Amino acid sequence: MLNFFIPILAFLFQQEGQGRFTRTWEAAAHPDLSKFLVIGALLFIIGVAGVLTRRNIIVIFMSIELILNAANLNFIAFSRYLQETGNVNAVAGQIFAVFVIVVAAAEAAIGLGIVIALYRNKETIWVDEIDLLKW
Amino acid sequence: MYKYIWLVPLLPLIGAAINGLLGRKFRFSEQLIGGIAVGSVALAFLISVAAVYSYGFSGHPHWPNAYLTSQDGFSFNWIPGGAVSVNQGSAARRDMDLEKQIAEREASMTPEERAEHKPQAYMTVDPPRYALLNIEWSYQLDPLSAVFMLIVTGVGLCIFIFATGYMHGETGFYRFFAYMGLFMFAMLVLVMGSNFLMMFVGWEGVGLCSYLLIGYYFDRQEAANASRKAFITNRIGDFGFALAIFGIIATFGSAQYTEVFNQAKSYPIELLGHWGVLSWISLGLFIGACGKSAQLPLHVWLPDAMAGPTPVSALIHAATMVTAGLYMVTRTNVIFQHSQTMLLVVALIGMATAIFAAIIGITQNDIKKVLAYSTVSQLGFMFMAAGVGAFVISIFHVMTHAFFKALMFLGAGSVIHGMHHEQDMRRMGGLKKYMPYTYWTFFAGWLAICGIIPFSGFWSKDEILWNAASTTQIPLGWLVWLVGTIAATCTAFYMTRLMAMTFWGKERFLEHPAGGEADEAHASAYDKGAAPHDAAAWSAGDRPRHEPGEHVGPVHEDVAHHVATHGHGAGHHGAHLPHESPRSMWVPLVVLAVLATIGGLIGIGPAFESVTGSKHPGGNLNISNWLAPIVWNPVTREFNVPHDASHGAEAAPAAEHAAPAPAPSEGGHGEFVATPYGDTGFNLAHAVDNVTHKHSLTEWTFILISLLVAGIGMVLGWLFYRKSPRLPDIWAQRLRPLYAASYNKFWVDEFYGWAITRRVMDAARGVFAFDSRIVDGIVNGLATVSRGFSLVVGAVDKYFVDGIVNTIAAFIKRLMSPLLRAAQTGFTQNYALVMVLGLMVAVALFFAGDIARALKQMLGAAM
Repeated sequence: MLNFFIPILAFLFQQEGQGRFTRTWEAAAHPDLSKFLVIGALLFIIGVAGVLTRRNIIVIFMSIELILNAANLNFIAFSRYLQETGNVNAVAGQIFAVFVIVVAAAEAAIGLGIVIALYRNKETIWVDEIDLLKW
Repeated sequence: MYKYIWLVPLLPLIGAAINGLLGRKFRFSEQLIGGIAVGSVALAFLISVAAVYSYGFSGHPHWPNAYLTSQDGFSFNWIPGGAVSVNQGSAARRDMDLEKQIAEREASMTPEERAEHKPQAYMTVDPPRYALLNIEWSYQLDPLSAVFMLIVTGVGLCIFIFATGYMHGETGFYRFFAYMGLFMFAMLVLVMGSNFLMMFVGWEGVGLCSYLLIGYYFDRQEAANASRKAFITNRIGDFGFALAIFGIIATFGSAQYTEVFNQAKSYPIELLGHWGVLSWISLGLFIGACGKSAQLPLHVWLPDAMAGPTPVSALIHAATMVTAGLYMVTRTNVIFQHSQTMLLVVALIGMATAIFAAIIGITQNDIKKVLAYSTVSQLGFMFMAAGVGAFVISIFHVMTHAFFKALMFLGAGSVIHGMHHEQDMRRMGGLKKYMPYTYWTFFAGWLAICGIIPFSGFWSKDEILWNAASTTQIPLGWLVWLVGTIAATCTAFYMTRLMAMTFWGKERFLEHPAGGEADEAHASAYDKGAAPHDAAAWSAGDRPRHEPGEHVGPVHEDVAHHVATHGHGAGHHGAHLPHESPRSMWVPLVVLAVLATIGGLIGIGPAFESVTGSKHPGGNLNISNWLAPIVWNPVTREFNVPHDASHGAEAAPAAEHAAPAPAPSEGGHGEFVATPYGDTGFNLAHAVDNVTHKHSLTEWTFILISLLVAGIGMVLGWLFYRKSPRLPDIWAQRLRPLYAASYNKFWVDEFYGWAITRRVMDAARGVFAFDSRIVDGIVNGLATVSRGFSLVVGAVDKYFVDGIVNTIAAFIKRLMSPLLRAAQTGFTQNYALVMVLGLMVAVALFFAGDIARALKQMLGAAM
């Protein structure tokens, strides 16, 4: 399915110089794995930092979504990379990403439900005021 | 056909299995059950007849040797044993040889040398001998088993047919025939087995079936007790038999008849008072025979066994099972004849039993009890014959007795049936008119047992008495003859009494209502003039279909009037008139009556040589010729060579040329040859010979005496119970002690009850007390002690061990808790931070090598 987008990507990511379309095509067809990994790592770190530092529980949720998406990005990247090398069932990573999205959606729904219940009882969504785990 | 004798035991077993396993489940009809049972026995009988004919009368190559089914592969290795040590016999023989050697050497020595003579110097010890013991399951066909096969299946067939009529309407019809078929199987295994262990299996099997069938009416206390009594009494005998079998295997290293007897032939004869190995073996065997054949002192079970149904009494307790002891003694006659002591014991026990039971039989009032004691007495006669060395005659008497006693038991069954379960002869009388078939067949049986020529009983009983008088194998033959003759008189007397009380004279059942409650308790109630029906709880005898305490109707004083007003069958048992039995019952009676009349002709004795032209006329059909090959001759030390049937009746024994003399068992006719048994003292026949100077005259003298005593007994019986019925009471008064002893069966049961049963019960109580006080006390005491101990241990654990643990735990808790409590903030983010830090540490550790390498490179690049 990704192959359908490759010409579009090549068109979008044209580079300067001789035969640039060809090289862009090449680059799009054979993307550099490390770039995706670096972006995934950054997303993950941002997410973790958000989870650890933010007080608003909603924002912590959003940070968790960032972590999950970092993981998704890695899945997709490796999937694509391995598709290129051609020795693994490369669709697995993409399907896994879809699974993660589904689970994240479910998690968000439950998490928001918990937050609402928490708010009704404690009248706050600031995590430094919630120390129920102590008991 | 002889190849198929393995079917003979199998067929009744199959019939029994079908009846016993399926009869109740599928509610077989009486016709089907009876058909299966009778059919299987009839087939077995036909096969037996065909096999015996092809074996003994058609020039068969095996004759007269035993034919074993294993010769044709109809056998299997039943007990694959191993090596057994067989030192016993060789040691006994060695000792005999050594004694002889020492005596021979010392005979040629001077007195000084004899004083210094040390036989130990050249006494050697035999190396242990071993034999390979393999017991195979194969049937044996030889003259003896042939006789028993025919008796068991033939008489059994008659009794089976009779039983289909007699047991009609019983709820346990299928059970009865299953047991009967099983009995036939066991009995046939007993007589057809080819080794002692098969005989033992059959022996125990018939014991079991006897137990089951005596206790057929198991809901009655009396029958249950009788069955247990029979079983336990037989155990005593079986114990001796088992010991004897062990002895045989230890001595001969085999249980196969042919092998054992072949070895036993060469053993030295043990004279009076010498207890060698064969004497001990035969003692054990004889104890077994005593138990099974109801000889003194183990006879007590047989009269009680009459609690079973009458066909059972006829088949098991008259015709077949009780003669198993005779079969065994005759089968092992080699061993018995090696022990003069045991021959004497057998003869004396038989003699004592014969007279003892005959005296008791005179005063019994229960028709089946009379016949039971008669059976015991006749078995005594048979053992008498075996004891004086006339094994052939004992088997002959087994056969004739099977005919006439089965006939009389079935006749008694017919009477009981016709009288509606009345067994007390004092309520019978005049039945001749009502039951003609039963009467006339019984009449033949009566003449046979009394010993009237030419009925079957005469031939065998006369031969027994003659052999007792002329025996050269044991001392005291004259005493055996004398007591046997008196017992024969008693037999004629009590049998005539039975006839008179049952079939002749007044019809007493019209005065005293009969039926329903025949038993001893009933009889004693009758004596006291009380209403008999209260005694139901302890009722004895053949009385089915009445529950204890059941009301079976009033005692009608005027029965004839009652019958006239209500008709036959109206009201209850007390109001019936006797009736003849159905055809299925009287046809077997007729068959047996014919056999009882002419069956003895196959054993016409040597005294009739002038009439028949031969000592043993009839070739193989004569039982003396037929059974000769299985009897060991102590003179020739070989088994008798059979008379050659092809040469006709005149043929002399083939052995006569080779052997110095005929067997003492059938010999002594004319010349008294030297036997290995030495001088046996006064010989009655010899003494009479000296008077008459003609041997045949002597024989005729004894025949006349035996006929005379039979006549005396019968005339006395007729006088007492027919002519002047007051005589019995008068003589009972005059002979008060004897009468009381006889009526109470010499108090043997009471004595056993006092001497054995009560002791055993006391011992059991003592053991129980020991168990409940001492053994249980020990166990309970130990339990109490350990409970106390556990209390102490528990306290230690609770206060000491737990105390230490709790103290340490409290100390640690006090020390550590602030630290740990501070770590638990309860804020999610703190935990998440710890997790992330941990993750980082984990990653760092995982990549420690890479990081170190990278650092190294960096440092190296820097320097």
